[in-house]
Amino acid sequence: MFDEALRMEDVHLAYNDLAGTIFSKPRALGFFRQVEDDPQKELITGANLVVNRGDTICIGGGSGQGKSALLRIIAGLVRPTKGNIYYFGEYIPPERLTALEVAKRQVGLVFQNGALISNMRVRDNIALPLRYHKRGSAAEIEEKIQMAMDLMRVRDEADLFPHQLSVGMQKRVAIARSWAMDPKLLLMDEPTAGLDNYNRRNLLPLIDNMRTLFKTTIVIVTHDLMMSKELDCDICFLHHKVLTDLKSFDYWKDSDTEISRELFRDLRSSG
Amino acid sequence: MSNKNIKNWQKLSPPAKLFHYLGMFLLTRTLGQQFALFWSAITSLFSKSRSFKTDSRNIIMQTFFTGVEIFPVLFIVATLFGTVTIIEVITMMGKMGFDDIVGNLIVIVIIRELGPILTAFLIAGRSGSSLTTYIGSMVINSEVDALATMGVDPIRFLVMPGLFGGCIALFFMNIIFSTSAICVGYLVVKAVILLTGNIINIQLTWNYLSTEILNALTLSDFIYIVIKPLVFGAIITTNACYQALNIPRDVRQVPKATSKSVIKSFLYVVCADVVLSIFYFVDYMNNISTII
Repeated sequence: MFDEALRMEDVHLAYNDLAGTIFSKPRALGFFRQVEDDPQKELITGANLVVNRGDTICIGGGSGQGKSALLRIIAGLVRPTKGNIYYFGEYIPPERLTALEVAKRQVGLVFQNGALISNMRVRDNIALPLRYHKRGSAAEIEEKIQMAMDLMRVRDEADLFPHQLSVGMQKRVAIARSWAMDPKLLLMDEPTAGLDNYNRRNLLPLIDNMRTLFKTTIVIVTHDLMMSKELDCDICFLHHKVLTDLKSFDYWKDSDTEISRELFRDLRSSG
Repeated sequence: MSNKNIKNWQKLSPPAKLFHYLGMFLLTRTLGQQFALFWSAITSLFSKSRSFKTDSRNIIMQTFFTGVEIFPVLFIVATLFGTVTIIEVITMMGKMGFDDIVGNLIVIVIIRELGPILTAFLIAGRSGSSLTTYIGSMVINSEVDALATMGVDPIRFLVMPGLFGGCIALFFMNIIFSTSAICVGYLVVKAVILLTGNIINIQLTWNYLSTEILNALTLSDFIYIVIKPLVFGAIITTNACYQALNIPRDVRQVPKATSKSVIKSFLYVVCADVVLSIFYFVDYMNNISTII
């Protein structure tokens, strides 16, 4: 129990929970709402997942299966219709399950589009959470920013605005911003989507560095299945509203399930 | 464990259940949700992680944006409006023989009612709408979610500075509106008299106008000069932020939310003005009974 980073028990999510932000509506509304039991309207039915500390896992699946929604549930941005989530062995009851409460447990999320604050320079983007939470003095924060920028190799772009960067750069800055907060659990939404092969090959060692040097637990949502092989991590699939067990890449490749047949077809044929 | 909680509220005693349903009824309405947003923006001031530097910079930026950049338009509107009001009041009342209520009328029209409302309309049209588009685009680019996952409270980082900046700016803008409507309006009237050779036939001196207005001002006017802009500013900015935060993730919803923000701000501001004016009605009633 104590070396667990994340545990999800029987998490359900309905489609209409995805609309809007949770900051507009009062929290009590979602909590007292009548629970619908219509399986047609559910996006995810009964997801169970256990991630140990220091592990890296991938969540795969076809598009539209709710991979990103699952990640948003873990980050607290969407309240699940039903189910319990434990962070580092600690249960957060549904009335307190918000992104702010989850972020206090040092959980970081890297968005698919980076989601950098567009009116701030790269440097200020990385510094924003540090300054807001007053992590150390100005000199310490500056040092931390430099370290993060060095780690993700975006130092030359420190004084540019996000719209002046390429997509790959934005993604690297977003990872640097999450890293600067010392996350114990880092969630990544499609870190390689939209990157060319060169950038992708540059990004993977950076993720690898992060988990070996800083012992960060990483959950990656991806459609890029080779990534799990290159990072040597287990992979599970969200398939037809159900989250499968964690298995290794080779298991999925050689097994005779429907998922393997659908998603690993071209990988098999290429050998 | 969540099941246990749900059972608890379903097992409430009848009065408690009534109270619960009343609360849920209020919270499902737009107005109740807006009040909840306002309340959480106020309470976010007392949250644990506070960084005075970030907050004060945000509030100052918002005040500057709301107040200072609208100044030229507001100044012109106030001046022309003041000119027209002074000319109309003086000519009409002079003809009818009610010279002694000129000050009263100017105080009622400019300082008490239309000053705050016109200022609020200008700021709702300009700053309320831009606040909605600003936060709405952030919602669509999932920047608000990104803020939340970094532990930065979006209500504190975005809504609270808008709320306080709007209130502060509206307060000062209202004072500027009233003063420029009366003082600069007077100068423009004088200029009109000079240029046209007094074709409108007004005898107006600063001495007369200022003493009339100062005599007509009461203590309640000074209280309302403070209260009205603060209430209107809170209404406008809360409404703007509420409409923005409720945008579904769809770019086409931003213009809809913006127009809704402006129109509803107008509606709420006028309603709030009526509610606040009830005090004056009560005052009039008391005066009538003493006269009789």
